[in-house]
Amino acid sequence: MKETMNADKNAEMSLQAAIAQLPKEIVPERDLWSGIDKAINQSATLADNNDKKKAFTPVAWAASIVAAVLLTWVTLGPEQLTSKPQINLVAAMQQDFEQQKQTMLVNFGAPDIKQLPVAMQTELVKLSSAQNTISKALADDPNNSDLLNLLRWTQQQELDLLNQLYSPQWQTI
Amino acid sequence: MDKLKIIDANKCFSPDLEPQWIAQAQQGDQQAFHHLYQSYHRRIYALCWRMMADKDSAEDVCQEVFVQLWQKISNFRGESKFSTWLHSVATNIVLGHIRKNKTWIQRIFSIEDQPVKDTMVEMPECSNLDQKIQTLPERARLVFVLFAIEGYRHEEIANMLGMAVGTSKAQYHRARTLLRESLSE
Repeated sequence: MKETMNADKNAEMSLQAAIAQLPKEIVPERDLWSGIDKAINQSATLADNNDKKKAFTPVAWAASIVAAVLLTWVTLGPEQLTSKPQINLVAAMQQDFEQQKQTMLVNFGAPDIKQLPVAMQTELVKLSSAQNTISKALADDPNNSDLLNLLRWTQQQELDLLNQLYSPQWQTI
Repeated sequence: MDKLKIIDANKCFSPDLEPQWIAQAQQGDQQAFHHLYQSYHRRIYALCWRMMADKDSAEDVCQEVFVQLWQKISNFRGESKFSTWLHSVATNIVLGHIRKNKTWIQRIFSIEDQPVKDTMVEMPECSNLDQKIQTLPERARLVFVLFAIEGYRHEEIANMLGMAVGTSKAQYHRARTLLRESLSE
């Protein structure tokens, strides 16, 4: 029993001594540096390529943004440029309509519209109201040709109605 | 001329130059990195060889360690000794390599490789204990190398190897028992 314990103790001590004497360094059989050097230089080349890609990326982004802005300007620019003339066109249409209306009324001897039958007055108010609504809609969407045509049609309807109401020809008939 | 050569050699292997080599290597100086390689590759190879128990794999992984060191050396902030940091990098790479080479069945069921006693290539330049370490089962060998030679704590080893602390201690005890038996033969 004691001999076994002593043997174990000796084995443990010899193991401990062997661990303490283990060499910290072992020399590899082949030269490892050449492979490492090759790998490092390959990775450096790859890194250079990545750097070039990294440098190219902002330029590509900038070019894309410029292209997008140009495309937007080319596509929407002319419409935006014509939007103000469209608003002016609406104003011009209204002005032209008012002039025609005033000229017509003066020609008819500046009649008092309040003397007209209520149904006719209501028709004129409806047409005027329609024109206001269309004009407001055109302020938001000045390029809408349907609204422009509708405005022109309502103006013409009002002029036609006034002409029918006050024209001597119509009165004669 | 000869005197000048001696002075240069002393200068090259002076430990005071290590921080300078590290700083230069971090800036991409391959010559400085080569100095670091010259200083450490034998120690790293010893770690790889003891953990992997295979000369060819150890050489390949040692190369991998230095390639990754070149890529990661900028991560070294000087918070620990460079040698400590390098050994931890090397240990992780070796363990990653061992895990990668396991089959999925071995990974899932934690099946150990057989001891490499029968297939081990004799390396007469290595110590007797080193030869015996190569014969240990894989997990016992890894724990023994990391604890007894590399100086890691069982908590750290358990974390690195994905095992309980108690298992790490048990594997270490197993390794010592096997080595004692082997040395007394």
